[in-house]
Amino acid sequence: MKFRVDRDAFADAVTWTARALPARPAVPVLAGMRLEVADTASDTLRLSGFDYEVSAQASVDVHAEEAGSVLVPGRLLAEIVRTLPPHPVEFHVEGSRALLTCGNARFTLLTLPLEDYPTLPAMPRTIGSAPADVFATAVRQVLPSTSRDDTLPMLTGVHLTFRGDTILLAATDRYRIAVREMWWKPEEVDIDTSALVPARTLGDFSRSLTGGNVDIALSTSDSRGAGEGMIGFEHDGKRTTTRLIDSDFVSYESRFPTEFAAQADVPVAPLAEAVKRVALVADRSTPVRLSFTSSEVVLEAGSGDDAQALEALEVNFEGEPMRIAFNPQYFLDGLTNVETERAFLRFVAPTRPAVITGTPAKEGGKPDFRYLVMPLRLA
Amino acid sequence: MSVFDTLVGQDTVVQRLRAAVRAADNLLSGGDGTGMTHAWLFTGPPGAGRAQAARAFAAALQCTHGGCGECASCHQVLAGTHPDVLYVRPSGLSFGVEQTRELVVRAASSPTGGRFRVVLFEDADRATEAASNALLKAIEEPAPRTVWLLCTPTAHDLLVTIRSRCRLVNLRTPSTEAIIDALVTRDGIDRDRAVAAARAAAGHLERARQLATDETARARREEVLTIPARLDSLGACVHAAARLYEIAEADAKESTAALDEQEKADLKAAFGEGATGKGVAKAVRGAAGALKELEERQKRRATRIKRDAYDTFLMDLVAFYRDVLAIQLGASVELSTADRDADLRRVARSSTPEATLRRIDAIMECRRRINANVHPQIAMEAMTAALYLG
Repeated sequence: MKFRVDRDAFADAVTWTARALPARPAVPVLAGMRLEVADTASDTLRLSGFDYEVSAQASVDVHAEEAGSVLVPGRLLAEIVRTLPPHPVEFHVEGSRALLTCGNARFTLLTLPLEDYPTLPAMPRTIGSAPADVFATAVRQVLPSTSRDDTLPMLTGVHLTFRGDTILLAATDRYRIAVREMWWKPEEVDIDTSALVPARTLGDFSRSLTGGNVDIALSTSDSRGAGEGMIGFEHDGKRTTTRLIDSDFVSYESRFPTEFAAQADVPVAPLAEAVKRVALVADRSTPVRLSFTSSEVVLEAGSGDDAQALEALEVNFEGEPMRIAFNPQYFLDGLTNVETERAFLRFVAPTRPAVITGTPAKEGGKPDFRYLVMPLRLA
Repeated sequence: MSVFDTLVGQDTVVQRLRAAVRAADNLLSGGDGTGMTHAWLFTGPPGAGRAQAARAFAAALQCTHGGCGECASCHQVLAGTHPDVLYVRPSGLSFGVEQTRELVVRAASSPTGGRFRVVLFEDADRATEAASNALLKAIEEPAPRTVWLLCTPTAHDLLVTIRSRCRLVNLRTPSTEAIIDALVTRDGIDRDRAVAAARAAAGHLERARQLATDETARARREEVLTIPARLDSLGACVHAAARLYEIAEADAKESTAALDEQEKADLKAAFGEGATGKGVAKAVRGAAGALKELEERQKRRATRIKRDAYDTFLMDLVAFYRDVLAIQLGASVELSTADRDADLRRVARSSTPEATLRRIDAIMECRRRINANVHPQIAMEAMTAALYLG
């Protein structure tokens, strides 16, 4: 195997693929990255990494002189390309050694047994595509609400519902629920299916998204056949597949209250900053208290002998005056992920969940992003 | 060439497994899959190849050609890297409930290759009671494509509730002829040596291979077999026990060291050791965490290997007394320690069959005590004393 490649393109592909490599490989070969030039005519190098759950595959255009494939230590390759000087990279394999030359820098890598390397799962059937930047934003919005506690696998995932031309992304960790609705272009207009995707993989993938479209491929256990229970994303020559979390998701829609006793129309950035300031005196578990009256909200934190903070902010408020307390981080995770300049806060009672939404694009429309958060009990 | 070729003297088992593989193919292509089931229990005496049988079966289930032994899938299963085959090898003395729960979750996921999700659980008898109960739940309500392959020495080592849900595959002790044949044709060992090794190993294939190829292993066995003849005073008993302990320790240490080094080298290579160029050292240091984890696993395994080594040599002693008994009773069976004929006859003449049985019981008691965490040397002293007193 022998090829020449542009340094930046190569570095980008290697770094991206290396992220899928396990830090503690179950078997040593999984720490390897597979490089493959299928044939010299297509001039494409395919890089892949796999840890039995998640697979990553990137392609990059190269000038191929000799086809072949090789397995090299992945982290090492990633470390090497990060520091390469700005010159074209030459890569070729001689026996059990891979030689990498770039300008004056030369590296020799010992190859790993390629025949032991597990076969990567096949990409499932594409079910549609979504605008990459919107998808990345949507993932970012719901991601903070996923749980990092592995004892309940269901809560560590983001639930994707594909229904007609909308995707619903939802996540919860029992204390809050984040739901985002977005438009996409399905292959079949009457599609109605869902998938529970591990949050970490989805987050990693969406961070690398830039412009263009992301193709979504899914096979769930009801569509019998190869590669059951798997979702794949493809964007810009990079594709990731991951096993789905095999569990039902909570039916979150019914948890959102439909009738509210009060509603506040607040400016997002000023309120978020005020909460952050006031929360400085509150440690993780103590609440920030919000008292709404008709024209303003008073934020307070700390009490008794501890440090205290207080700040008032002008808001539009309708309904009964409301005194309600939140975990500051949970509150901020909702508020700061609203995309519009102003947000609506809706309340039922101080002991009932509150809902944060953006202002809908058109009057009376449905907001894209909804965030339900449980209040803390006031002392 | 087939993945089942590695099994020695297990023709009936191979036939059954092949039939099951055909049924599995039928199931995958939409048939009713009669003859295939989701849980299998491989039993058989040590050395019969329970784990090998299970592994070959796993390879055949994943292979599109019924276990050709040549395709990438077969190779990956046999090399232990196949994405849909989950290997469980309890490295410690027991397998806990926490690990089992994790295993159950992973076992329930669907196969990426679209065939089967196979869980190969070697030494399933090491699962604790709580762990067995967690396992039972998974075997009771299996995911549609998950196949459990459990290996234990006998069916009674598992909860009866688990056993009743598995199809039993009972491997027999391979005949001496089959072992000789395997050693000669597969490992290229000359016939005389193969005959001696196969007899000495009494049906344990791996042990036979070790005795045939490893000079030190042979020497150690020889020395252990001189013990019965040397027990002529309590002082000699204490001395013999100390020596037996030493031999077993040395043996365990050697096998541990060889295994450990190999695994460490593989892991380091995977992180890029041996590469040259600027910045390489830094990347290789990234392996430190993974290495540490490996070392902890190896430490746990070391205890287990030690126990296995004591067992090996104690079973050699049992073989000796079995042969004594055979001579005393005039039974015409193949003697596994025939090369110590003089000792055998002397011990046989100077004692009664009842005493020989008591001696075998003393050795078994010693194994039991070691498993109950008695210091091995003390347990062995008690044993040699009992052997001396008869």
